[in-house]
Amino acid sequence: MLNKFLFLFFISFTLLAESYYDFQNDEDEKRFFNLIKEIRCPKCTSGSLASSNAPVSEDLKKIIAEMIEDNKSNEDIKSYISDRFGKETLYDTPIEPKTYALWYSPFVFLLVCLMIFFFRKKA
Amino acid sequence: MILDIAHYLSILSTAIFMLTFTLVLILDRSVSHSTLLIKRSYSHAFLLFLISFLLYVYLALTDNFSVSYIAQHSNSLLPNFYKVTSIWSAHEGSMFLWIIFLSLWGFIFNLSTDRDLKVKNLSIGIISIIIVGFQLFLLITSNPFEVVLPFAPENGADINPVLQDPALAIHPPTLYLGYVGFVIPFAYALAFLINKDQSIEWEKKVKSWSVMAWVFLTIGISLGSWWAYYELGWGGYWFWDPVENVALMPWLAATAFLHSLSVASKSNVLRIWTLLLSIIVFSLSLFGAFIVRSGIIDSIHSFANDPQRGMYLLAFIAVILFVSLGLFASRLNMFESSKNIKALSKESFISLNNIFFGVLIFSTMMGITYPLIYELIYDQKISVGAPFYNAIYAPITILATMILVISIDSRWGRTIDTGRSFNMLYISLAMGLIGLSLIRYFAGDMSFIIMISFLMGLIIIFRYLILVVKNILEKKYINTPSVIAHTGLGLLILSISANSILSSEKVFNMKPNEVREFENIRIEFNDLELLNNSNHDSIKATFALDANGKSFYLSPEKRKYFARGQITSETAIKIMPMRDIYLTIGEQLEGGQWVVNVQLNYFIRFIWFSAAMMAFSGLLIISNIIRRKS
Amino acid sequence: MKLLLKIIIFIIPLIIFSFFYLYLSKDNSYPGADYKKFDLPAFELQSLYDENFISNNLLEGTYLVNVWASWCITCRVEHGFLTELSNNNINIVGLNYKDNRDDAIEWLVKYGNPYGVVIHDLKGSLALDMGVTGAPETFLVTDQRVIAHYRGEINNMIWNDVFLPVIKERGLVIDAK
Repeated sequence: MLNKFLFLFFISFTLLAESYYDFQNDEDEKRFFNLIKEIRCPKCTSGSLASSNAPVSEDLKKIIAEMIEDNKSNEDIKSYISDRFGKETLYDTPIEPKTYALWYSPFVFLLVCLMIFFFRKKA
Repeated sequence: MILDIAHYLSILSTAIFMLTFTLVLILDRSVSHSTLLIKRSYSHAFLLFLISFLLYVYLALTDNFSVSYIAQHSNSLLPNFYKVTSIWSAHEGSMFLWIIFLSLWGFIFNLSTDRDLKVKNLSIGIISIIIVGFQLFLLITSNPFEVVLPFAPENGADINPVLQDPALAIHPPTLYLGYVGFVIPFAYALAFLINKDQSIEWEKKVKSWSVMAWVFLTIGISLGSWWAYYELGWGGYWFWDPVENVALMPWLAATAFLHSLSVASKSNVLRIWTLLLSIIVFSLSLFGAFIVRSGIIDSIHSFANDPQRGMYLLAFIAVILFVSLGLFASRLNMFESSKNIKALSKESFISLNNIFFGVLIFSTMMGITYPLIYELIYDQKISVGAPFYNAIYAPITILATMILVISIDSRWGRTIDTGRSFNMLYISLAMGLIGLSLIRYFAGDMSFIIMISFLMGLIIIFRYLILVVKNILEKKYINTPSVIAHTGLGLLILSISANSILSSEKVFNMKPNEVREFENIRIEFNDLELLNNSNHDSIKATFALDANGKSFYLSPEKRKYFARGQITSETAIKIMPMRDIYLTIGEQLEGGQWVVNVQLNYFIRFIWFSAAMMAFSGLLIISNIIRRKS
Repeated sequence: MKLLLKIIIFIIPLIIFSFFYLYLSKDNSYPGADYKKFDLPAFELQSLYDENFISNNLLEGTYLVNVWASWCITCRVEHGFLTELSNNNINIVGLNYKDNRDDAIEWLVKYGNPYGVVIHDLKGSLALDMGVTGAPETFLVTDQRVIAHYRGEINNMIWNDVFLPVIKERGLVIDAK
């Protein structure tokens, strides 16, 4: 009776699963935990899969675990998710021409400031 | 009735703050008679506003649901404590609190005596007009006094269960006290510029106020981190969420500002930088308010999306920024070109430090705004998260801390004497390397950058330890607040690194009565209960654990709240000296098993303790200043 | 040097402000709308009613795919409009999402069935493949390709502003046979 109640209670957000987060080794498990921290929950306003228990987040976590067990690479897993839910699900912003400005501007800024700082003193 | 009174009092208060501003403009600011008038006017305006707010608190406590905001955010079943805190759980009410604190700072500052009447009065005038701007924003676009028509609902909506938490009750007020406190140095700096009298030592006058605001900001941010840790369920203490970042930016700028304040007397160049920083700090505080309230950013914290409010705030901040920057630029000539800063003197190190802070602020601003820029240009969405921020903060912090330990031996107005001082550096480095090899022995491989961060944390702590011991033995002066604050910084970096290196987690599938082992910890799934509470149902799983020779129980829960159908996961945490044992339950799987997540979070308490050290050092500075005065 | 500093001091905030102004004035009236195009994922799932299998090659032409469930309260709100659409001969494929079969059938009996075919996606696997984050959501599919997607309940306004423009632009015919 309790079991049926619990089942119904959670039916609205479980993907009835066969996969059980049964990782074969520690590296796989670490990979899982790192990935779910870097992938954004598609439904929440903000936050990673790790901090979300929304149904779609739970589904994605299971898929990620399955894909890891299938020896898929991180890139494969990220592409799988971003293809379906958008590039904005990747907190690990890709380094590509469109994002060079983001990744490199801090160092350019640092260099410029340091140059001004050191050359000004000579003046 | 009471609602109307409260509303009118707020409107009246706005008018009287406006009057205060006008008085400052038209009266002779150098005369004590005008000063008294201005003081009184401000005080009256503030007290009216305060009474308005207290009446509003009364309305919330007495469940007056004819008030739209109270109906949306409070409920008669809430404990009184949360009825009050629900006031600042959303936009209108928290804005109300923000302005109360803003005017409160001005009120207390107003009461302090100052021989330079002209500057003091000017600063009060500036604070007053800023308050007017915010009050108009509140009353026109975000009116907390709006009424539900035609009939008040019988009961309010339940507030987000996640907000019914003591930490979340004090986190916003503390943070706001920090943000708005920087209006004091800001206004005083502008008053100083308007007044054009170089001889006035405005930096000394605003120091205590600035430090106090910084202390509040430090504590406020730490409270947010602490809350996020136990509430959000992923075991992290910092997510680089946009709203965390907009609190971090003013904190960084304020830290740079505080350092500059102590140096400003040494050189005119530094005086100029200090003035600019006072403008930047307050502007970043306002920017934070804008980001959170304009709906522009998707975040846990963002209040209701309303571009109209965003536009108003943006325009308001633009006006403040352009007026203050314009004033600053026009007065640059005020300072004749000064003697250059001596290379490798303490002043030069602090200047260099400002560059590092500047890079961090710039990068954080980039990270927050880049998704918006990208969307505007490419019509596509991207996210910027921990990988970017870690990639920037880690190397910059390492650089800055290297400069820090070198600078300890630097002198005011003279080049650093590398001879004797570097010996102590070498000793600290040696001790740091020993510590590093110890942790490498225990934890195995780790990334290079984390290794260096860990090392730097150790070096800072050892260096200051040596400093203290040496100065005690040689009966030399110890700048205690500086030692505590910087040791705190070292501890912060050390704890963050250690936490990253040592922490681990694991996920199990367990049925009741099953046992698992993880890192020498025995975990037994004891019990599963279904509980019914007044506003939620919960599934409570109790585990018996054996760790470090101790036995204890942990009971994580899965809750479903009735009002919004929200499902939350409650973590169960056991705090041990070096680590937290952190337990959450996930879903139930097909075979009746539950997903159980165990985390071991190392040194996390030390992270907040180091923030407390920094905050404490700030309080020490203030008490020293007060003692010196009397 | 000081002049340069003055200029920089003004330019940086100016840039930041103009940017935010531009961003705020951008028309973002339907945050739930997404026009990303992708192929309808391959699937083979049971129909809700008769347990025969449906696969994507059985679905031809232009149609809507509506994600719904009996436990989804908002779905009841949009149901009226869906019925209106189906009365106008618009072909709607139902995607029953993470729902108990009996509950779903009962729901359709109780409220009416605006769908032609109804796919029973018990595990939500097709939904996940389509980027569904919950119910209700609606997709516009033509020639095995998704060309528009709306997250949230669909009503007359959204139909007119989000889906119709795409239909008209491509000159599609969305009537059921």
